[in-house]
Amino acid sequence: MSLAQSEPTLPESSSVVTSPSTSVSEISVGENRRFADLRGVQWRIDLGILPSSSTSSIDDLRRVTADFRRRYAALRRHLLVDPPVPKGERNSPDLVMDNPLSQNPDSMWGRFFRNAELERMVDRDLSRLYPEHGSYFQTPGCQGMLRRILLLWCLRHPEYGYRQGMHELLAPLLYVLHVDVERLSQVRMLYEDHFTDKFDGFSFHESDLTYNFDLKKFSDSMEDEIDSHNSSVKVSSLDELDPKIKAIVLLSDAYGAEGELGVVLSEKFMEHDAYSMFDALMNGASGAIAMAEFFSPAALGGSHTGLPPVIEASSALYSLLSIVDSSLHTHLVELGVEPQYFALRWLRVLFGREFALEDLLIIWDEIFASDNSYLNRSADNDIGTSFGVLSSPRGAFISSIAVSMILYLRSSVLATENATSCLQRLLNFPPDINLKKLIGKAKSLQSLALDANNSSPLPTHTGAYNQSKSMAVRGHSLSSDSTSPRTPLSLVPESYWEEKWRVLHKAEELKQGSLEKQVSNSKKGWSERIRFTLSRSESAPSPSKVNSRKKDPKSVRRSLLEDLSQQLGSEEDTEIIVCNEDLGQNHPSSVEVEVDVQDGDGRNFTCTVEERHLSGNAGSEENFSIFSDPPSPSSGVNDEENESESGSVVSNLSIDENDVEPNTVESCRTNPEVSPLLVSDFPDDISSKCGQNDDSLGKTATGLKERKLLSGKFQWFWKFGRNGGEGTSEKGASEATKASNGGSNQNNTESSSTADGLNSTVISKGDAVDQNVMIALRNLGQSMLENVQVIESVFQQDCGQVGSLESFSKNVLVGRGQVTAMAALKELRKISNLLSEM
Amino acid sequence: MVLVLVLALGDLHIPHRAPDLPAKFKSMLVPGKIQHIICTGNLCIKDVHDYLKIVCPDMHIIRGEYDEETRYPEIKTLTIGQFKIGVCHGHQIIPWGDLDSLAMLRRQLDVDILVTGHTHQFTAYKHEGGVVINPGSATGAYSSIAYDVNPSFVLMDIDGLRVVVYVYELIDGEVKVDKIDFKKTTAVTHSAY
Repeated sequence: MSLAQSEPTLPESSSVVTSPSTSVSEISVGENRRFADLRGVQWRIDLGILPSSSTSSIDDLRRVTADFRRRYAALRRHLLVDPPVPKGERNSPDLVMDNPLSQNPDSMWGRFFRNAELERMVDRDLSRLYPEHGSYFQTPGCQGMLRRILLLWCLRHPEYGYRQGMHELLAPLLYVLHVDVERLSQVRMLYEDHFTDKFDGFSFHESDLTYNFDLKKFSDSMEDEIDSHNSSVKVSSLDELDPKIKAIVLLSDAYGAEGELGVVLSEKFMEHDAYSMFDALMNGASGAIAMAEFFSPAALGGSHTGLPPVIEASSALYSLLSIVDSSLHTHLVELGVEPQYFALRWLRVLFGREFALEDLLIIWDEIFASDNSYLNRSADNDIGTSFGVLSSPRGAFISSIAVSMILYLRSSVLATENATSCLQRLLNFPPDINLKKLIGKAKSLQSLALDANNSSPLPTHTGAYNQSKSMAVRGHSLSSDSTSPRTPLSLVPESYWEEKWRVLHKAEELKQGSLEKQVSNSKKGWSERIRFTLSRSESAPSPSKVNSRKKDPKSVRRSLLEDLSQQLGSEEDTEIIVCNEDLGQNHPSSVEVEVDVQDGDGRNFTCTVEERHLSGNAGSEENFSIFSDPPSPSSGVNDEENESESGSVVSNLSIDENDVEPNTVESCRTNPEVSPLLVSDFPDDISSKCGQNDDSLGKTATGLKERKLLSGKFQWFWKFGRNGGEGTSEKGASEATKASNGGSNQNNTESSSTADGLNSTVISKGDAVDQNVMIALRNLGQSMLENVQVIESVFQQDCGQVGSLESFSKNVLVGRGQVTAMAALKELRKISNLLSEM
Repeated sequence: MVLVLVLALGDLHIPHRAPDLPAKFKSMLVPGKIQHIICTGNLCIKDVHDYLKIVCPDMHIIRGEYDEETRYPEIKTLTIGQFKIGVCHGHQIIPWGDLDSLAMLRRQLDVDILVTGHTHQFTAYKHEGGVVINPGSATGAYSSIAYDVNPSFVLMDIDGLRVVVYVYELIDGEVKVDKIDFKKTTAVTHSAY
């Protein structure tokens, strides 16, 4: 080992070493993180190989280490005999059985060929392992170690065998051991040179020249070095040293307990240690999470669902997601994205494919730091809803990380219109992420997951996460409301099918009616059109109509709610009930609010600068006074509406893409299921938009209107998607807003920050000084600009689609509608520019 | 671990004297195990060639007097591991199956192992520091000098300087396996090169 060789690896390893030590100490306040800077040792403790109690002495660690190494050595002697085929005199006389062409799988040759096959398989994977870190992983020594470990493990556990991905679980384990050894040699160098001086950490580079000399000495006589190293330690008082360094010294002492076999940080025994770590990880060390089960294709005895463990874990992940963010969950379900499509890869290699190695190590730090023992819950505690993977803190944390990863991608996932693109985004996790935030969120989700799994109906301490996790807050507040017995809503199941049929029938009727009214409408077959026409014909005239119409959808809603409640879990059920109930109680006001909001916004889009300024201000201030007037649940309801709106819009879009006629019925059916409130809400939204469009562009064709509606929907959709993403990622911002608001408004802002950042800013504007107004308007303008861009891109997509539907449409009119729509968009952009200038 | 399995067989005489390989042999000859096939000829049709190619694509086939395919060479030498192997059908070497004549050919070709056929009788001799092997007929086809023939073939496990010759013979419907160990001395290697 020369300096030139060792130096390139040093920066890498040191960065790897230092970064976790900072982040770990910040993120986790682990009480038993004795060796936070020695990840390999810490992991061994976390994985249950080394004793975890902080009272165990170094000698204990050494003894246990030596035991594991002996076990591995014995196993290797037993299983990996080289050459595997004994020949000559030792050969068994039964040649019929033991010959190269023997059909008997238990014969020597059978075993030999099996091992050879296994080795080929392992080698195929290992040769492609971490090409970006090939300088370490692709070296023959490392590959040999990895191969032997994998072979031995697979031979030891023939029930699992080798599956692709196991090598990626093993590689980081070996890597941390390697990093630890590197760190040891680093410390040894430092220590050797500066021992007589007072030890300080930064004099490493001052004496490069001496290192050249010393290095030779080190490599030549490792034993002597340890010896002198050790004796010199003894001379001075060990306590003068940094305790970390002291630990390293003690762990690498060749003359402690068990002699050299007990050297915890040993390059010679990296293979042994890595095997024991891998074995503990795969078998779970009698804990809940055994990674090997994730590779097992069949259900194991412990699972009650009869599904393979990894599938079960994936669905646990979705159930957690549905608690945390039901709209996102709904969207994913709508697209038909099964959780195992992406979770299989995430879980099997513990996110090894999603993160760079350095980040992965930090995540694994956290995963391993979580306890893997089963929580002591009674076995009969509602076994139906609990998932095996969530029964230990570690499993809960793993799923929490997965969920927080999905939430991290929330906006872009919500923006997808089909399963393929959705999966593309989920499986191409962005490399530059805020890891700390991700882990922080996962930690907050972890206890939520554990609670959910214990199936206590009411998470009692979610309040603790109010600050960090506003989504959880919403779920919590709603569910806590739901426990109050004031829900006398009789859910009439007998009238449900009737109601449902009526909705469908009405949609059909309206479709017929709109056929003559709008000849230019090119895509009447589409479900979306039906809903548009339905809403327009119903709500176009005036708010009074809205009121008259109100009754009907309410009951429809209720019946649909019944449907929904049958499908979803009890918690969501009650959640919706609350929404529905509140809507029922505050219905006139909430509808008004809705209309007003839309009105104000719509005017913003279309009026001139002056007008817009006035009316926008007036409208919005009115709105938000109303908005904050009703008790907090109603704002929550609005929130919920928005959420569901966005979700259903997405579903509509996806159906739109499919553009199949039979979808009409189907989507009519699915839409209400997704958002029972949608039926009543959209009319307001759409009618106001419609009116605005008519005002500003009186001469536009009906096709334009359709376009406009579509674009409006897109706008809302995007706004929600984006703001939702911001709401989660810009928690700080929403916190600030919260602080600026009075205590009375707190609930309001909390809930709105998740769903609609726009609302929160505007609300704060309503309360605060003029400067806030200006800022809010500027934000509004910027968001409008972005929205416009989005609309344009969507339009281009749509154009292509229209072309494919010629048989059903009148191309000319549609084309004209598009042109005018584009013109309108330009207007919109101008306005937004002006707005942002203000 | 460098372990090479070489299958040596010949004189199948399909379809003239035998319909096919014995089923027991066929079930043993699975793809993936064998690295080379040495065939001493008289297949005789292309179908057999194709079948053998499935078992192992690396084939060295010599022309027998009944082979339809005329492109097979009459004689061939190849090196597997540290062994030099010569292959010849054997009808050219008279008297047929005579050890001295075969030893002469082995010296001529300067090979460690000489594989020949034609007699339809399995024989293996360690002779003058080399090996002379006749795998017999894999189908048990009769020959002009023998009528009661047991199907047999040979599998050579070449590992370094050592070769273990497994002999598979079908006697009364049962596969019998025998084994001959042969170690090459380095002195031979020196003189060979």
